[in-house]
Amino acid sequence: MPLTKEELKVKILEKAMNAPKPQLYVKDFYKCDPETKPRAIKNAANELVKEGKMTFWSSGSTTMYAAKGRAKDEESGEGIN
Amino acid sequence: MPKHDTPLLDELESGPWPSFVSDLKRQAETKPECWDILGQLELSYKDKITHWKHGGIVGVFGYGGGIVGRYSDVPAQFPGVEHFHTVRVNQPSSKYYTTENLRAIMDLWEKHGSGMTNMHGSTGDMILLGTRTENLEPFFWDLTHKLDQDLGGSGSNLRTPACCLGQSRCEWACYDTQEACHHLTMHYQDEIHRPAFPYKFKFKFSGCPNDCVASIARSDLAVIGTWRDDIRIDQASVKEYVAGNIPANGGAYKGGDWPAFDIKDEVLDLCPTDCMWMEGDELKIDNSECTRCMHCINVMPRALRPGTDMGASICVGAKAPILDGAQFATLVVPFMKISKDNDFEELIDFIEQVWDWWMEVGKNRERVGETMQRIGLPTFLSVMEIEPLPQHVKEPRSNPYVFWKEEEVPGGWERDVAEFRKRNAM
Repeated sequence: MPLTKEELKVKILEKAMNAPKPQLYVKDFYKCDPETKPRAIKNAANELVKEGKMTFWSSGSTTMYAAKGRAKDEESGEGIN
Repeated sequence: MPKHDTPLLDELESGPWPSFVSDLKRQAETKPECWDILGQLELSYKDKITHWKHGGIVGVFGYGGGIVGRYSDVPAQFPGVEHFHTVRVNQPSSKYYTTENLRAIMDLWEKHGSGMTNMHGSTGDMILLGTRTENLEPFFWDLTHKLDQDLGGSGSNLRTPACCLGQSRCEWACYDTQEACHHLTMHYQDEIHRPAFPYKFKFKFSGCPNDCVASIARSDLAVIGTWRDDIRIDQASVKEYVAGNIPANGGAYKGGDWPAFDIKDEVLDLCPTDCMWMEGDELKIDNSECTRCMHCINVMPRALRPGTDMGASICVGAKAPILDGAQFATLVVPFMKISKDNDFEELIDFIEQVWDWWMEVGKNRERVGETMQRIGLPTFLSVMEIEPLPQHVKEPRSNPYVFWKEEEVPGGWERDVAEFRKRNAM
């Protein structure tokens, strides 16, 4: 049975906080619940951004996700690169 | 007063053409950061390497696209371009503006940014070049609240949909491209403003096979107007063209060393499928062989027009050569009715079926056309629940990529050779 949206968000955030890479593609979250459709996973990840728990990092052509504070920040030089 | 010496860039002002260097110098009189653009570009010319870093976490609240972060890697030398973010503004369908609106956008960009623009980006957006992070939210507020306009797409989002002039000006448009473009832009606001896919995804809408927005080459999903009945022929006008009383191709075939118009040379012999001929002074067309190349219609627009049973062909998978080479889109649906009467339901169902498959099997940074190429057209067609058609096959027999499945063959793959040889002797 697929996880509920809130359960999924917890899994996604855990993955974003603990993955070796600080910035992750949306596909990297698919394994958080193989039974959930990619679109629902994308929606849950985007909701975490809206809540301020994750951030988008975009090169301009591709967009990645990172737990807040982990993304490479060109302005402050912070984040794990 | 120039802030940096730019001898290499100054060379670009010496030719007969308008120069962006001159434009930047003029803009620098009111926006001093433009001196630093010139300075950094001069340094890049000397060093033969870019000094821009692109990407970042910049954006406006609630959006995951529309802003492309850009920073100088030599900010101490060029502080005016320490931040120099790009903003994409969703263009109106077919890029119709009032001058009042254009002036308002330019005033807004003078207020919040460098005043530099790029009209338009290849996706169609207005590209506003150069602002600092702290200016993004005030700019976005003014753009959305005062001008009632919005940002376009960037990153792994649905990119800003684009369309040709369509039925607003063109007699060949086989569906209302502006209506389709606007409807899908509004329908997919979430996908435009927030990342959704393994990589970028673009729609483009062309009203006829002339494909004025080059959708077949530049969009992941091209909706190209077509018709499925016969080309309409006005034989009286054909005679006028043949007699030279109507200039062919809107007058393009004249002057220089163009001879008098010859329908055989300019139309019949150039038909890619040889489906046209003259019987006396009457033009005949075998419409079943027509590939909708539009050449004859372009040359004799007063004599020939698209048919009346209009819709669109849907092609999937074009891309520019960023990772693999460039590729054109593949024809997937030869004909689909495109109508706002049912809110473009059939097209939307098709799009979402493509997305569901691509989101599942597409690799990171893989365009849908690359996924189709990697997995194969037969699988793609089967997932899309589309029966293989002759139109899917580019070169029959030399390119046999439509295969039978075992369950579709009576008896499967197992054969009794002895039994077979009883009927087919060596």
